[in-house]
Amino acid sequence: MQQFELLITLLALLALLLSSGTWVGFTLIAVAAVAIEFFATRSAGAPIATTIWSSSSSWMLSSLPMFVWMGDILFRTRLSEDLFRGLAPLMGRLPGGLLHTNVMGCTIFGSVSGSSAATLSTVAQMTVPELKKRGYPEHLIVGTLAGPATLGLMIPPSIIMIVYGVMTNESIAAINIAGILPGFVLAAMFTAYVVIVSKTDKSYHPAVEKPTTWREKLGALWLLLPVHVLLFIVLGSMFAGIATATESAAMGVAGALGLAWWQKTLTWENFVESLMGATRTSAMIAFILAGSAALSLAMGYTGLPNDLAKWVSTLHLSAFGLLMALLVLYIVLGCFLDGISCVVLTIGIVEPMVRQAGIDMVWFGIFVVLVVELAQITPPVGFNLFVLQSMTGHNIFRIARWSFPMFVIMLAMVFVMIALPGLATWLPAMMLPTTAA
Amino acid sequence: MMTITADAAPAKPHQFERLWAGLDRFYLCCGYLAAFFLVCIFLTTMLQVGSRWIGINIRGLTDFAGYFMAASAFLAFPHTFNRGAHIRIELFMSMMGRFRLIAEWSSFFAASAIAVWLAYFAWSMVYWSWSLNDISQGLDATPIWIPQMSMAIGLSVLALCVIDHGLRFLISGDHQLPASPDAL
Repeated sequence: MQQFELLITLLALLALLLSSGTWVGFTLIAVAAVAIEFFATRSAGAPIATTIWSSSSSWMLSSLPMFVWMGDILFRTRLSEDLFRGLAPLMGRLPGGLLHTNVMGCTIFGSVSGSSAATLSTVAQMTVPELKKRGYPEHLIVGTLAGPATLGLMIPPSIIMIVYGVMTNESIAAINIAGILPGFVLAAMFTAYVVIVSKTDKSYHPAVEKPTTWREKLGALWLLLPVHVLLFIVLGSMFAGIATATESAAMGVAGALGLAWWQKTLTWENFVESLMGATRTSAMIAFILAGSAALSLAMGYTGLPNDLAKWVSTLHLSAFGLLMALLVLYIVLGCFLDGISCVVLTIGIVEPMVRQAGIDMVWFGIFVVLVVELAQITPPVGFNLFVLQSMTGHNIFRIARWSFPMFVIMLAMVFVMIALPGLATWLPAMMLPTTAA
Repeated sequence: MMTITADAAPAKPHQFERLWAGLDRFYLCCGYLAAFFLVCIFLTTMLQVGSRWIGINIRGLTDFAGYFMAASAFLAFPHTFNRGAHIRIELFMSMMGRFRLIAEWSSFFAASAIAVWLAYFAWSMVYWSWSLNDISQGLDATPIWIPQMSMAIGLSVLALCVIDHGLRFLISGDHQLPASPDAL
């Protein structure tokens, strides 16, 4: 059976190149070239070059650098200092105390930034020293950072959702909007966990915060207002259909620049740094996407995804069974690969199966993001674990053990999503049809 | 990771160091150019928002945003590579011990081969677009070889950059790529 031979060869080549440290983008292009040259017996160079060109020059993709840049500018404003100063008086006296600033801080930063590691390092820099000083147990400090930081992927704008949207040809705006409710539900679950653990954990006896007046509490909120107005405009314009994803992202950049200028944090160096950082991050992602475009083309030539989808349909798996199989697949892959590479490698193959099973592609996008979030805190490769390792100096497996309750919560969220698909599909269905574009 | 200064004669700077510093600057310049195109995406998109508000329709702006996107990405590839920001999996390499050298070799070899191969076909694409006088399908009616040049140039410099770092590895035992600093 030639398809079987093909599958094994390609998987072996992929595993060999990736594990020997070949850059993901190059690996994908190499596998695509081998598939086309040897299994579809055509010349691979010209079609691959054309495909990479057309996928990289797509207008849809241009929302990526805009969102990345917006996040990068906001990171360089006073936001991170304001965040802790603003949240601490609000949360200090709740059961769970300042551990809530970890969860809330990540939720708020998740809505600014599209990435998990960036959210994590910014929030951790502010909260870890303060919480340690006040005697919070370390395993809780680390755990309540590792999990919630992954909200950066779920709460829009999210880079991984843009990647998913570009690959599946689904509306980037709809997928980002779909992430809002599940993101908040997940944040609520983390918050509930903090409350429960503060009552049950024996090592939990931090310094008690001084009571604050309402004036102080609200004064703190005021600090965070400008950023939220900005995000409201960015997401609102997508939701209301008056701007496409790229346009609202560009407005977000303008707003972020304005905000940074108003707070007097916008220096020429800051501006150039944020611009170069955004250029590199989006180039890094564009490179993987170029590889994935080549690979999808090759897959189309060989017909492998369709054959696989047909084969899977002969198994008569229920949609639930398929999702469980994919859940296991992504958790295993996520142990070795970063989130974006996971999505890029699998979506081309998985998409036909999922469509055939009648699963909504926007909902599936949120499912994938959630599962990829899980992958961020599974050892040995989990980017959040790496970040926390370098920031706290603890061994990666210890951090993973401390984060394990978060893993369970996120796994529970997967089943909540399956039981209540409306969490992801309700808001996008309410979106107004776009008048832009 | 091995460093040059650790065991080799530390007093004498490497004879290629000036060349390498020059190449680093060259990749950085490509990076600045890429950043310029990123600003161009921002400006065209804002122009589009603004022009819709006052009710004018400027043709082909979205196509331009796409070309700028491509230019920004491709021209930034070498700089991104040079900063070690392209994703690779280092987990297994770090477990390989002395076989790590083989893995480094094979990954530089594979990456150089693909980069050169792809750059060749990018130029061939530009050549065909130019000789067939291919015009963009969109409203902008741009001769498509002009924006496609960014891909050919970017991929060529990327190939140079990969080979350059492979050679640095061969000569000095250090490929001079920092560990991925700001991966997602």
